[in-house]
Amino acid sequence: MAEEKQLMVVSGETLHLSGSGHCPQAAETEDERDGCIGAAEEQAIKRGPNLLQMLKAAESRWAPHQGQGREGEEAGMAEVVTEALKTDMQIQLTEEKQEFNKRPIKAVPCSLARSISQSSIDSHSSVGSASSTDETSPRNKVQKTSKGVSDFCIKNIKQADFGRREICIAEQEMPALMVLRKKVGGEKPLAGAKVIGCTHITAQTAVLMETLLVLGAQCRWAACNIFSTQNAVAAALAEGGTAVFAWKGESEDDFWWCIDRCIGAEIWEPNVVLDDGGDLTHLLYKKYPTLFKNIRGIVEESVTGVYRLYQLSKAGNLCVPAMNVNDSVTKQKFDTLYCCKELILDGLKRTTDMMFGGKQVLVCGYGEVGKGCCAALKALGAIVYVTEVDPICALQACMDGFRVIQLSEVVQHVDVVITCTGNKHVVAREHLDRMKNGCIVCNMGHSNTEIDLASLRTEELRWEHVRPQVDHIVWPDGRRIVLLAEGRLLNLSCSTVPPFVLSITATTQALALIELYNAPEGRYKRDVYLLPKKMDEYVASLHLSGFEAHLTELTDEQTKYLGISKHGPFKPNYYRY
Amino acid sequence: MSETTVEVKLEVKQASKEVKESENVAEKYSVMTVSKNTEMNMEELSSAFSAVPTHKPVKKQIQFVEDKQEFSRFPTKAGRRSLSRSISQSSTDSYSSAASYTDSSDDETSPRDKTQVNSKGSSDFCVKNIKQAEFGRREIEIAEQDMSALIALRKRAQSEKPLAGAKIVGCTHITAQTAVLIETLVALGAQCRWTACNIYSTQNEVAAALSEIGVAVFAWKGESEDDFWWCIDRCVNTEGWQPNMILDDGGDLTHWMYKKYPNVFKKIRGIVEESVTGVHRLYQLSKAGKLCVPAMNVNDSVTKQKFDNLYCCRESILDGLKRTTDVMFGGKQVVVCGYGEVGKGCCAALKALGAIVYITEIDPICALQACMDGFRVVKLNEVIRHVDITITCTGNKNVVTRDQLDRMKNGSIVCNMGHSNTEIDVASLRTPELTWERVRSQVDHVIWPDGKRVILLAEGRLLNLSCSTVPTFVLSITATTQALALIELYNAPEGRYKQDVYLLPKKMDEYVASLHLATFDAHLTELSDEQAKYLGLNKNGPFKPNYYRY
Repeated sequence: MAEEKQLMVVSGETLHLSGSGHCPQAAETEDERDGCIGAAEEQAIKRGPNLLQMLKAAESRWAPHQGQGREGEEAGMAEVVTEALKTDMQIQLTEEKQEFNKRPIKAVPCSLARSISQSSIDSHSSVGSASSTDETSPRNKVQKTSKGVSDFCIKNIKQADFGRREICIAEQEMPALMVLRKKVGGEKPLAGAKVIGCTHITAQTAVLMETLLVLGAQCRWAACNIFSTQNAVAAALAEGGTAVFAWKGESEDDFWWCIDRCIGAEIWEPNVVLDDGGDLTHLLYKKYPTLFKNIRGIVEESVTGVYRLYQLSKAGNLCVPAMNVNDSVTKQKFDTLYCCKELILDGLKRTTDMMFGGKQVLVCGYGEVGKGCCAALKALGAIVYVTEVDPICALQACMDGFRVIQLSEVVQHVDVVITCTGNKHVVAREHLDRMKNGCIVCNMGHSNTEIDLASLRTEELRWEHVRPQVDHIVWPDGRRIVLLAEGRLLNLSCSTVPPFVLSITATTQALALIELYNAPEGRYKRDVYLLPKKMDEYVASLHLSGFEAHLTELTDEQTKYLGISKHGPFKPNYYRY
Repeated sequence: MSETTVEVKLEVKQASKEVKESENVAEKYSVMTVSKNTEMNMEELSSAFSAVPTHKPVKKQIQFVEDKQEFSRFPTKAGRRSLSRSISQSSTDSYSSAASYTDSSDDETSPRDKTQVNSKGSSDFCVKNIKQAEFGRREIEIAEQDMSALIALRKRAQSEKPLAGAKIVGCTHITAQTAVLIETLVALGAQCRWTACNIYSTQNEVAAALSEIGVAVFAWKGESEDDFWWCIDRCVNTEGWQPNMILDDGGDLTHWMYKKYPNVFKKIRGIVEESVTGVHRLYQLSKAGKLCVPAMNVNDSVTKQKFDNLYCCRESILDGLKRTTDVMFGGKQVVVCGYGEVGKGCCAALKALGAIVYITEIDPICALQACMDGFRVVKLNEVIRHVDITITCTGNKNVVTRDQLDRMKNGSIVCNMGHSNTEIDVASLRTPELTWERVRSQVDHVIWPDGKRVILLAEGRLLNLSCSTVPTFVLSITATTQALALIELYNAPEGRYKQDVYLLPKKMDEYVASLHLATFDAHLTELSDEQAKYLGLNKNGPFKPNYYRY
């Protein structure tokens, strides 16, 4: 054990040394920055949008035109700050732990580690299911990579090759990050960054991590969920030199131990935090508050974590800037609208093999998720009804050609009921009682509160488990209702998240890290910010190549006419898309 | 062409709308009263208007660009007049039949020189011919059928009279639809004096009908520049009556009052402004620190924006193209330049009819949206050779250039849904080698020396305004929004609104939507107490945080 520790220290020091080689001072001079950007700009005109170019464009957009020189620049900076919207937003956070109660080992604190955001959930790839015949806890094993480093803790380093293959496959699916590596790999925008991360450890996040490495960062990583780690991928990462502390099926105690080891307070000082669920931030606050001196910012991905940050911020306890990537336009659209548009069909088909044409479907809620579901179902010829509480959304539903009704009006004759309200007990027992035989009930909204399940656990009703995720509930009169995923999220339980969506998330995280790390002193205060629009646009532009989409470029004349920069941001912040 | 008009170009430095909401969540979810399926309780309404709103002043950037080209066609009214044109769709009068009844202007006397008296003996108005009142009354009654939201508002709030004591000066298009708005304001307790914001749009018989019931209207179709300002002046400047609210469309009225009657502003509780132009002027005033009363920007309310752009254009693109060219859409290749709200509407409509749609876009986020919606994102040059229809909706300039027009195929249709007439470089087509042939109204064939024809619609001006009509339903949304903004400003407790430009509070926005749901026979679901608590919302809204994108 002692030996191991020593080794760790050594490796930590070497890491330090190699890091400081090209580590610029925190307070870079303006001139250097400008020079950099200028050079980058020249190159990039040929290659379409370039990150730094967009950065610069955004700055110049907000800089006052008359104020040249120093003063103008400063004013410009001051303006830029406001560009990243401060969202003192309200999140309807509700306890998610019901989802977890099913696993008795991890009860309360870990429920928080579950991120509600879709795209942070691992896609159910094949590696996840590696057998765990080896009963020794990874904590008690001493393992070494082929280079002799042992500053990691995973299930089995020997799986590294296997994991590497998984990562290679994931790279194919995440072209945006690969493009990012190519475009700014030379500039090393993260040189000197010491990132500690706590996310799901899957092939996709591995691509993100390795992208960060290519951009010049050093990383230490832990898992944000005790079940989601792909052991082989963790092994591959460890083999590649990243300090990973994670394995599938950690205990509660293991979980916090891993995070603690990941922070590695004795051997290095992190300066950027990438979190998913807020557990890492929480531990930092509790155990290592002094580390925050060096931390330039927190990038948080999940709704839960963002909520915690807002609470901290409101209490005045947030001592570094934080970036809320969950609410970026691109990510939001993909997590909800586009993702659910496809998953609703997939989930229903996989579980019930139903045919949609001519079916009467009731969708509760016409937010982004509801809009996606309705569009997909309508396209397949279903007759769609909508229930809604918000008049604006209701009017939108009307204009899109859906009947807005109350649930009780049609519940007797619909074939499918889909909830996506984020609310509680939208489908109550009285509705369930009146449904017709064979009616399918499922939830696309959140958690498992939308359908009042508790009310179905009564003696007169018989539950029949037909196949995974499908239950028949049989009424005394023989009438059956088909309940999917026991009222939990259909899109997570009965379908997989497309890698493309994960790619959007990972790219957004990478750019948020770059933005926070490179922001000049004072641009971000101790508050929670939204990803600046220019970055959001950049994420989108990186994904366009996948569609072979050709973006039009503004001419100088048009730029002037519109009063915007050639490289964005193209829309004001209040734009609704 | 008199180009020397006010150069209205906005330097945009304002960064962002402050989305930061009020700290106090309880305060935030102040009461909003949308009673869903029953008649609204009056106490609720009043509490809605006294609740503390949470919206902040919006420092928005407006990409405002000169619009005067549209107007330089009218040689009489050059300079200022351009400013009173409101770009917002729904502020434009719908081309209802009434406008043409009174076109016979054999009566050459200017209304200014005539003395007319309505049946009650009042002569405090100036319209073309008071005798047309009955005629106009019928027009208004027809409009009322289509504007059920305002009628519902009258019913719900009539006994309450939320505008009792309000003295409103208004400057909008005077059409049957605005008449319904004006009469609604009167029914809610306000006194109104009205003038036209456009010299051509007034429906004379509607103006007469309004005068007949005692609203002081100063407007007729075909005013001169001088008449225009005279009307505004008469509207504001009257013995023993000082306005306390302004409803403006285009900012001319506000401008005039600032210039001539700055003292009146001491009594003014607020300005409600409807058009992009007017809002832009207000932001300039506000930036210069000269805005001395609160102003409400109703142009950017969610409901109005969606209807002005997305829903309206979705229908008018088909209508406009059909009316002018009778083109069949199935299988046609269409390129739509720009995938903002207008572009999204156009694409959805065309796709639904079986057209093959291509998109050009500069903004990567919108481009990605187009991809995900199943449209090919291309550069114009890649497809220009083989598309049948080119539609611009970018808000930009010279999106379709001469070079591209040269390469279009024979019979290709070019039109503009974006704004103004800058998007297609029409000037470049006015060269000697090209022959222009006017085929029918709004349709020109431009013929190349080799015989190729390109069909240009509305000379590159807005297709939706020139070749299509604005549905009354959209006008109803606008009018309802205006009425609620007036009520909100008038009833706001001292200090709620400072001297700044505000967006309509979300609760009001939701209320506008809910008033229109009845038309669709839509039944809104009500939250149970338990659900409201679970969501941390008030049962009656607002239902969404301010940053919600819809």
